[in-house]
Amino acid sequence: MIWSFDLLILLFMVICAFFVIQVKDLLGAAIVFGVYSFLMCLLWTEMGAVDVAFTEAAVGAGVSTVLFIAAVHRSSRQVKPRKRWRRPNKAVGLIAAGLLGGVLFYASVDFPDWADPSSPASTHLSPYFITEALADTSVPNLVTAVLADYRSFDTLFETAVIFVAGMAVFMILGQKTKESAQVGIDLTGGYEDTIIRVVSRALVPFMQIFALYVVGHGHHSPGGGFQGGVLLGATFVLLAISFDLKMVLGRMSEKKNLLLANTGVLLYSGIGVLSLLLGANFLDYSILHTLLPSTGPVVARSHAILGVEIGVAITVMAIIILIYTNLSSGGTNEKGL
Amino acid sequence: MLLNIVVITLTGLGLFFFLATTVGILRFPDFYTRMHAAGKGDTISSLLILLGLALYNLHHLSLSTALVSIKIMMILVFFFMASPTATHAIIDAGYESQIEPWHNDEEEQA
Amino acid sequence: MELLISSYNYWIYIILMMIGLYAMLAKNNLIKKIIGMSIFQTAIIVFYVSISAKKDATIPIIEHGKGHGHSAVISAMDYANPLPHVLMLTAIVVSVGTLGVALALAQKIYDRYKTLEEDEILEQLQEQAVSDSVMTSSGCDNDK
Repeated sequence: MIWSFDLLILLFMVICAFFVIQVKDLLGAAIVFGVYSFLMCLLWTEMGAVDVAFTEAAVGAGVSTVLFIAAVHRSSRQVKPRKRWRRPNKAVGLIAAGLLGGVLFYASVDFPDWADPSSPASTHLSPYFITEALADTSVPNLVTAVLADYRSFDTLFETAVIFVAGMAVFMILGQKTKESAQVGIDLTGGYEDTIIRVVSRALVPFMQIFALYVVGHGHHSPGGGFQGGVLLGATFVLLAISFDLKMVLGRMSEKKNLLLANTGVLLYSGIGVLSLLLGANFLDYSILHTLLPSTGPVVARSHAILGVEIGVAITVMAIIILIYTNLSSGGTNEKGL
Repeated sequence: MLLNIVVITLTGLGLFFFLATTVGILRFPDFYTRMHAAGKGDTISSLLILLGLALYNLHHLSLSTALVSIKIMMILVFFFMASPTATHAIIDAGYESQIEPWHNDEEEQA
Repeated sequence: MELLISSYNYWIYIILMMIGLYAMLAKNNLIKKIIGMSIFQTAIIVFYVSISAKKDATIPIIEHGKGHGHSAVISAMDYANPLPHVLMLTAIVVSVGTLGVALALAQKIYDRYKTLEEDEILEQLQEQAVSDSVMTSSGCDNDK
């Protein structure tokens, strides 16, 4: 908690945000936005939110930059100059942002001091989580315990939201028949680069093992289903960039992806229904100790958290691959970046 | 004591190479030379700093700190493989889109 | 100085958020609007994460050996508040899903209108509306 270090990162972030919206080249804007995300990840590590920083490093700096590049590559790269008759838009935007900003500045006087341990957010519910989570669930990583146990309803529906988002992308872009679609632009131009292919082929297995480690070791270190799932999806995106989309679709076809995305959500809600069937509440894992041999109610919660995280990871991985393959090929799944 | 000196030397060298990289990116004339500075300097400085951190972590030698050091060394190995490849990919993309390398016109005339 | 240190970061989040809002309102290009939306989102996320920070607190992972068998008491002051972390962790992953949907819509718009500029799309829409109304009015004339 070094406030001068925070100030430095925050100033860099403001500069990055300003340039992101000012720069005329959309590809450049996507890259600067990746830098912005990475600075944010540093800031969160510094604030002690390691799980959030890990997620942001995988999602913000990695996957969303790739998604932006895929979308820009399929459409136009340059921002055209604005026509005269739409000029008032700028003034309206400035006035609205200025007014709202002024109101928020006025309100910020009432906020508790930054990093105050006795602020309302840290006094009511969270002390219970911090002091009791280890005894309740035997999971030392409090974020994982709260994510998959105390707030498992929330996480279940967040997973469902990701599933629905993936379905939406599939519905918007995936309906094209192969005849009517225009042929995608081929970035590589038939040029094959041996070095990139060999290195990415060598790295991908290690990345996938690391992703599985992140999923499995989320109880004790930063990580869990969301981060591991994003990493697994990113390995396939890397393969799709360095080889081509056909190769990835050969391994993970669209049908397989859809099935996997369903399986993940089903696994999560299945664990919930299982505890319902055994006579407890929905997603109340402690009852599962009757099924698992030689486990008490506490350890059963720990094991069920792992099962839930695996479900989340499968869904997130499948949806990330689905979004990327559809975005980069305009839904035809023929040629990607 | 000796460990401290080694750690300080390694991280200091790493920071020096980072500074050289930054100067190179700012001062070099064209895309290829800038990528040359960014790729090489970034790799070597990150490697040196990570090595320094792995050694610094061994101050209290136990199983858990040794494990953390091994993890840092693994990051180092993967970084050593991935970073030059990324630089190669960027330079290759620049070459494919036909960016002209820089020539010193004055030298050619002389 | 005291006031500055205790609340300067809130002001910077507000500035970031306003940059995002301005981009969403005033920028002409649809991709730029989507980037503005992402900046707005991250400003809110960083606000949430910052209220979880505590002075002299460490990351919310309990050290090994501590608290097992209630031998040591875990103090809530020693660890950062995990609750906002959980909320924002899921929010980040959901944001990549919504980003995918937004980019898919932008791509569909580009396929149809061949441009991502808002004013050009509006122009094309107006032309289309005019030609449609001409069509329908001529159709009515024929009926008479």
